[in-house]
Amino acid sequence: MGSIELVCPAGSPAMLRAAIEAGADSVYCGLRDETNARNFPGLNFSPAELKAAAAWAHDRGGKVLVAVNTFARAGEVDAWRASVDSAAAAGADAIIVADLGVLAYAQAQHPGLRLHLSVQAAAGSAEAIAFYAQAYGVKRVVLPRVLSAPEIAALVRETDVEVEAFVYGGLCVMAEGRCALSSYATGKSPNLAGVCSPPEAVSLEETDGLLTPRLGGFMIDQVAPGTAAGYPTLCKGRFEAEGTASHLFEDPTSLNAMALLAELRTAGVRAVKIEGRQRGKAYVARVAGAFRAALDALDRGETTAPYEARLTGLAEGGRETAGAYRKAWR
Amino acid sequence: MRTRHRLRARRQGDAAELLMALRPPAEWVLSAALRRLARRRPEVFERLGAFGEAAFVIVPDGSPVAFRLAPQGASAGVQVRRRNDRSPSVARIEGPLGALLGLFDGSVDADAAFFSRAIRVSGDIEAVMALHNTLEAADLTLADLLGLSGPASQMANEAVRFARTAASAKAAWA
Repeated sequence: MGSIELVCPAGSPAMLRAAIEAGADSVYCGLRDETNARNFPGLNFSPAELKAAAAWAHDRGGKVLVAVNTFARAGEVDAWRASVDSAAAAGADAIIVADLGVLAYAQAQHPGLRLHLSVQAAAGSAEAIAFYAQAYGVKRVVLPRVLSAPEIAALVRETDVEVEAFVYGGLCVMAEGRCALSSYATGKSPNLAGVCSPPEAVSLEETDGLLTPRLGGFMIDQVAPGTAAGYPTLCKGRFEAEGTASHLFEDPTSLNAMALLAELRTAGVRAVKIEGRQRGKAYVARVAGAFRAALDALDRGETTAPYEARLTGLAEGGRETAGAYRKAWR
Repeated sequence: MRTRHRLRARRQGDAAELLMALRPPAEWVLSAALRRLARRRPEVFERLGAFGEAAFVIVPDGSPVAFRLAPQGASAGVQVRRRNDRSPSVARIEGPLGALLGLFDGSVDADAAFFSRAIRVSGDIEAVMALHNTLEAADLTLADLLGLSGPASQMANEAVRFARTAASAKAAWA
């Protein structure tokens, strides 16, 4: 492993293998239920698959981080506790958690299990991170995607907890873990059910090349023929206000912070994360390969520029952004 | 212009008739491969959950025929249908043949293909997602699709790899 850990997504054992073989230091994955924030049909791991995948990764020097990062429903916490137990039994190197009750359970029942604070917890200040470290022994925090690079540098100076930052993939516009848009339109949210814009609530209609996505019956966009599309989520929808149709919440674009890797490393970021457990083998092989090459180049004292164009064509809406890291809108 | 359009339509109609005549052996080969896969790797189909017995229609661009895939259940198998056949199915997936094969073996990123509008889906999106995630996890090859094994399997997979490399090189020079 180089100076920064490369953390890549895995929605299946096959994708986990593709990520490690392409150069990931760690992979993160979830069990096949609502206890993780990518609870899509056919995705994720059974407890037996997780155990076998962890052994496979460990044999190759890779780490497996298990996301148990949705918020446990009051009165129905058994599923979340079972996921923590399954992750520990599988030999997970860490679990990624947002819910206070799940953190407390993991700390009490599996004191040797390393705890990472999920992006869903939206801990974006040194005080919030210190609370999680002191109360539950959290060793790493995944930062919400709302901080600029200088803000991250300032935060790292004020905390002893390892910092992990997203550098590629889909973006959420709302404070992490607090978005209610999907819940409003469909009754299901990523926070509780592990699905944003659940596929059973999505319909896609295409007539003469004009694509009309609907979510929960609401028309959320009309995409002209030959124009790139985004995910059918409310936050990426286009709505008419004062006679003008525009993306009111967020443009459909993907984060690509490869050009900021040197800055993040100087800031003291310990690990960088790729979004996209729902994407698949082809995606993770290409993104992990490009970021592996870029990080290795940084460690050799070279520029990442030659690798920045390797990800063309993967981005949502066909466009990339440095997101909040540059905060160009301020 | 109108004459050329009529000629093209007639040629497509002729091709459809020819392919429909060849339907029985194609359906037999593809269905046998699917059933063999179900026997050999039953865990692959577990990921389909409630959609195991659903029927999906796969339509290659420019092809006069479509493929109706039923992964499991009493009617498990692959049927060749006319492109405009609208018999009941849970979802319809359309796109270039290369992209569809890439989705089958996981060498194409489905989300990127959707963003770029190369792949079009309609019907039950939950079922489409279950099928996609099932195929992703299955690590299948073209040889699995055709039910090939041994040297024939290696040759088929090498041919696909060669075709993809050639297509990438052509795209790079374009």
